Amino acid sequence: MYDLVIIGGGPGGVAAGIYGARKKMKTALVAGDFGGQSKVSAEIQNWVGVKAISGFAWAKTLEDHLRAQEGLDIFQPDLATKVEKSGEGFAVSLQGGKKLETRTVLVATGSSRKKLDIPGEKEFDGKGVAYCATCDAPIFKDKITAVIGGGNAGLEAVLDLLNYSKKVYLLEYSDRLTGDAATQEKIKASPKAEVILQAEAKEIFGDKFVTGLKYQDVPSGNIKELKLDGVFVEVGSYPNSGFVKGLVKLNDCGEIIVDHKTQTTSLRGIWAAGDVSDVLYKQNNVSAGDAIKAVLNIYDFLK
Amino acid sequence: MMNSVKIYSTPTCVYCKMAKDFFQKHNVKYEEFNVAEDEKARAEMVQKSQQLGVPVIDIDGKIIVGFSESELKKALDIK
Ligand SMILES: Cc1cc2nc3c(=O)[nH]c(=O)nc-3n(C[C@H](O)[C@H](O)[C@H](O)COP(=O)(O)OP(=O)(O)OC[C@H]3O[C@@H](n4cnc5c(N)ncnc54)[C@H](O)[C@@H]3O)c2cc1C
Repeated sequence: MYDLVIIGGGPGGVAAGIYGARKKMKTALVAGDFGGQSKVSAEIQNWVGVKAISGFAWAKTLEDHLRAQEGLDIFQPDLATKVEKSGEGFAVSLQGGKKLETRTVLVATGSSRKKLDIPGEKEFDGKGVAYCATCDAPIFKDKITAVIGGGNAGLEAVLDLLNYSKKVYLLEYSDRLTGDAATQEKIKASPKAEVILQAEAKEIFGDKFVTGLKYQDVPSGNIKELKLDGVFVEVGSYPNSGFVKGLVKLNDCGEIIVDHKTQTTSLRGIWAAGDVSDVLYKQNNVSAGDAIKAVLNIYDFLK
Repeated sequence: MMNSVKIYSTPTCVYCKMAKDFFQKHNVKYEEFNVAEDEKARAEMVQKSQQLGVPVIDIDGKIIVGFSESELKKALDIK
């Protein structure tokens, strides 16, 4: 029987693991990976105490710090598939088959990238449909590409692609781009970039690889077609809360509703922190801090 | 037995770095092709894997797309 099972290996989960172990609580941590979402970031420049570090190197520092703790049980790579009430506490089922009995649970499972959910997206995944411009932009050298989504991630993807592609479309559903103004200026200044507003992606098509994209011009309702070789999807993210749905209260976006003073959820014995919660600011330092708040509160709760 | 290991990568791809770290950790010799620069390698990669994402790893002709520790361990017979 554990005192605490932490679910998640991002900055939130890792910070919680370190605090849980140091508080000498009997703690287990389950994680798909270490580092979480920013692991693919080319450079993190705001992790307090480190001027600049690649996402990958940063993730390694988190993992090393976590593994240096004594008396912490780590289940990685594995995933929690279900949390249910069991006696006085909870049972956490893992994809790998184990079942962990625990008095308390901290959910720090962050969020995952949204898909477009349109015809062709799945069929051409990896065959022109891509989700990481930092990784795959060079493969689209001298090709025509499009980025779907005009937030910060979408704008960054356009900049990555402009280094290689001969033409980059940026499609945004609303009537303006929302990302960083300075990045927008850079894109507008490039003769290779073309911004299409009020455009809703409808279908990705091709033969062996992607050859084009259909979108709807929202004001007129007309369907238009672009000839292109690559579609980079940057349409935001959704919280990984599915496995506790029905157990704790979620808001309309699927985020776990927490008390921001203690990180408690609607169900006694379950805490949540980081991007999976309804925290307003989604940042590495914030996730770590909130998860630490949760562990300290859990410690008081168990006393 | 020595495996012939090739990795097609880009300099900015995190999963490529993870794969290379994995090889180094397990003393696996590998040949790297930077498909951001090397057009011939890029074409070869697409032809072998029938897709457009990195990393592509070729272990004695077996093609693995992306980084998966368990798949690499299986292909290289690492416990
Ligand atoms: C490309 C990119 C760059 C970013 N750059 C920055 C930056 O420079 N600075 C900054 O402050 N923020 C940045 N952010 C935001 C930051 O990454 C997030 O706020 C942060 O990752 C949230 O941390 P978290 O621990 O709450 O969740 P996540 O980082 O999302 O981690 C979730 C963890 O839970 C695991 N998990 C998910 N489901 C399960 C399950 N069912 N069972 C077990 N484990 C599970 C995952 O494997 C992962 O380890 C960036 C985000 C992105 C996408």
